[in-house]
Amino acid sequence: MSSTAMKKKVLLMGKSGSGKTSMRSIIFANYIARDTRRLGATIDVEHSHVRFLGNLVLNLWDCGGQDTFMENYFTSQRDNIFRNVEVLIYVFDVESRELEKDMHYYQSCLEAILQNSPDAKIFCLVHKMDLVQEDQRDLIFKEREEDLKRLSRPLACTCFRTSIWDETLYKAWSSIVYQLIPNVQQLECNLRNFAQIIEADEVLLFERATFLVISHYQCKEQRDAHRFEKISNIIKQFKLSCSKLAASFQSMEVRNSNFAAFIDVFTSNTYVMVIMSDPSIRPHTVSHSLPASAATLINIRNARRHFEKLERVDGPKHSLHMRMR
Amino acid sequence: TSIMDEDSKPLLGSVQAGEYYTDSLDPKQRRPFHVEPRNIVGDDPQERVSAEAAALSSRVHYYGRLTASSDPLLVPPDHVIPSPEDIYIYSPLGTAFKVRGGDSTAKNPSIVTIFAIWNTMMGTSILSMPWGIKQAGFTLGIIIIVLMGLLTLYCCYRVLKSTKSIPYEDTSDWEFPDVCKYYFGGFGKWSSLVFSLVSLIGAMVVYWVLMSNFLFNTGKFIYNYVHNVSSSDAFGTNGTDRVICPYPNLDPDGDSSTLQYYVSDNSTGPVFDRWWSKTHTIPFYLIILLLPLLNFRSASFFARFTFLGTLSVVYLIFLVTYKAIRLGFHLDFHWFDSSTFFLPEFRSLFPQLSGVLTLAFFIHNCIITLMKNNKHQENNVRDLSLAYLLVGLTYLYVGVLIFAAFPSPPLSKDCIEPNFLDNFPSSDVLVFVARTGLLFQMTTVYPLLGYLVRVQLMGQLFGDHYPGFLHVFILNIVVVGTGVLMARFYPNIGSISRYSGAICGLALVFVLPSLIHMVSLKRRGELRWPSAVFHSFLVLLGVANLFGQFFM
Repeated sequence: MSSTAMKKKVLLMGKSGSGKTSMRSIIFANYIARDTRRLGATIDVEHSHVRFLGNLVLNLWDCGGQDTFMENYFTSQRDNIFRNVEVLIYVFDVESRELEKDMHYYQSCLEAILQNSPDAKIFCLVHKMDLVQEDQRDLIFKEREEDLKRLSRPLACTCFRTSIWDETLYKAWSSIVYQLIPNVQQLECNLRNFAQIIEADEVLLFERATFLVISHYQCKEQRDAHRFEKISNIIKQFKLSCSKLAASFQSMEVRNSNFAAFIDVFTSNTYVMVIMSDPSIRPHTVSHSLPASAATLINIRNARRHFEKLERVDGPKHSLHMRMR
Repeated sequence: TSIMDEDSKPLLGSVQAGEYYTDSLDPKQRRPFHVEPRNIVGDDPQERVSAEAAALSSRVHYYGRLTASSDPLLVPPDHVIPSPEDIYIYSPLGTAFKVRGGDSTAKNPSIVTIFAIWNTMMGTSILSMPWGIKQAGFTLGIIIIVLMGLLTLYCCYRVLKSTKSIPYEDTSDWEFPDVCKYYFGGFGKWSSLVFSLVSLIGAMVVYWVLMSNFLFNTGKFIYNYVHNVSSSDAFGTNGTDRVICPYPNLDPDGDSSTLQYYVSDNSTGPVFDRWWSKTHTIPFYLIILLLPLLNFRSASFFARFTFLGTLSVVYLIFLVTYKAIRLGFHLDFHWFDSSTFFLPEFRSLFPQLSGVLTLAFFIHNCIITLMKNNKHQENNVRDLSLAYLLVGLTYLYVGVLIFAAFPSPPLSKDCIEPNFLDNFPSSDVLVFVARTGLLFQMTTVYPLLGYLVRVQLMGQLFGDHYPGFLHVFILNIVVVGTGVLMARFYPNIGSISRYSGAICGLALVFVLPSLIHMVSLKRRGELRWPSAVFHSFLVLLGVANLFGQFFM
């Protein structure tokens, strides 16, 4: 069955200049080379073989360009493009002056989705919101959301307002990833149990490719509301440095006299971060039992097998692919 | 179940129990360069930086790794950067300083902007002011200086405001030629380029003539001083503050250029005069000095010397004041008729003054750039007016004082030269200092002007400021050649100034700003007939100014 062997796609679409390439670069920590940036349009399909949520492949398409070549190519390849789509993420530039045209292209994408991948999930991002005055942002977003929901019928779309200059982009993509993880509620419940057993202050679960936080458990109030995004940025920067040395990032331990944090591979789709501020982790405590950090790591490794099973057993389509290969 | 059945290799490298902790015993060694204060447990958490600013800092660090440093794609735009209160500089010693003053671009206080405009506008026209007043008549000359100042100020104000009335475009780095291109397309772009080049090349020709003049006089002074020759061949006053009339018995309505042929040095003069001639040899000597300078790729070296221009203007003001005190005032008011020594107060040659003044008050091609760095943008109009007032006062001062102090009983007022320094003999020490200083200053400005010509012309024609050595060299040959020819055959800076001033002023001062204003009002549907009449009148004035140069 060739169709099931084909990779499922995440389509990132939108008008040329709406910010898709920057968005992809930021979320997936891809270096943007100068040439690919603003030569008018994203010239070709950008296949990034990023293992995103299992076996999903991200495809980036410019929609509704000025170029008749792009138009023709798009129309002739339509079925190819829209087949086997798991997720459609459509990006709208809030500053666009051609709203009618934008909606028109969006609708034609939806038609193609309805024909070729009717089960796909649809997300709409109203992007570049930082260019709108603060007091008008809610109003304008509400307007757009209503229009988009109305136009998308019978398909259901989820709308987010985003900007690369505040936390909204990260939160929107985290929400998208959250909706795509199979059994995410069960995962969260198990995560809470795990955290309580090992007596951690906080446990985070990240998506592997993008370090978007899928789920977290915290046992007490934390001060910094932006910590998820900051951790994600730090690790992505570290990954970029690692890739320069042709090394890949696997795990990290950060500690000082007040806390210890462990970041490690968890399941095939996720990373885990465990933060312990157990005051018993003191410099001069040399116990004859295993050092506390090693104990935590062993706990993590054991939990890993349990969570892998969780992901595999109830996971739908893409885990099936892994079995069948 | 055994714990370690899956992987035999440990998750971390081999770490001994003790050594891992000793490092963290010394916190100073391990402290990171940037620590957000609230993450330091134990300190009372003072909110020094807002949460949003801290998050943005994290984002900016990350985005900076995603593109090349020169790529503007992921650079935070201005509206996203936190206010200066949120920006701190962390020193490695652990203290944090607040950023002083806010902006990344240097914002200048009003006084600096006004001075920059005054400095840029002050040009060689200051030397022609007495001659201009003479051509127009004393009273009419003063009136025209005031009126032209006001007119050019209004047109400059129009240029400044022209970028504000363009909708839907980001005009923050536009100059006036870009505005012309927006309204009139290719025609606007090319016409503003051509007329801007006229003013620049006109200025360069005047510079060549003046530099030949100053070099000649400097050399003559040194030669006479060394050989102890006193030259009293020119007709002039007697006494210590000598004023000469280089070309007496002039036809009062003509140029002094016609007399050049008769008073030129012939081969019967001494050897020095043959090899050191203002029109025959020195313009060519200057080629050796200046043509190489023009071929430099970048003119930033010469930009350092702009302070010399200010110095020379200040010195000229001092010189003029001194001469006026020494010579005293000689004014006699004849309204419409001329006498042997004096001229009427109102003369029909006044367009010559207005032509020179168009060039003297010209800054319209770069005023937008100059005003961009003004700290309080709301004061732009006030500062521009103050700058024009200062410039006008400077020109008036020099012009009126020299004209009034010109010793009229022995000499006729008609003797005032287009370069008033020519009215002083080459043996005058103070004037010698002025000439030498101006010579040096002009040598540093000339390559800058050449660079501007090159950038504008090459940029428009070839898209590249330096398309190739040959292109630039040919351009420089053409420009230098024009200067040499003018210095050889028609070294009258008054005429050169007024023609180039009227031509470039027609487009860039009178026609384009007024037309653009009318078009933008029309597009918004706000054009009323008084405004249309007034601005059309301005256009007609510009045309009349140009015609006046040819027919008067």
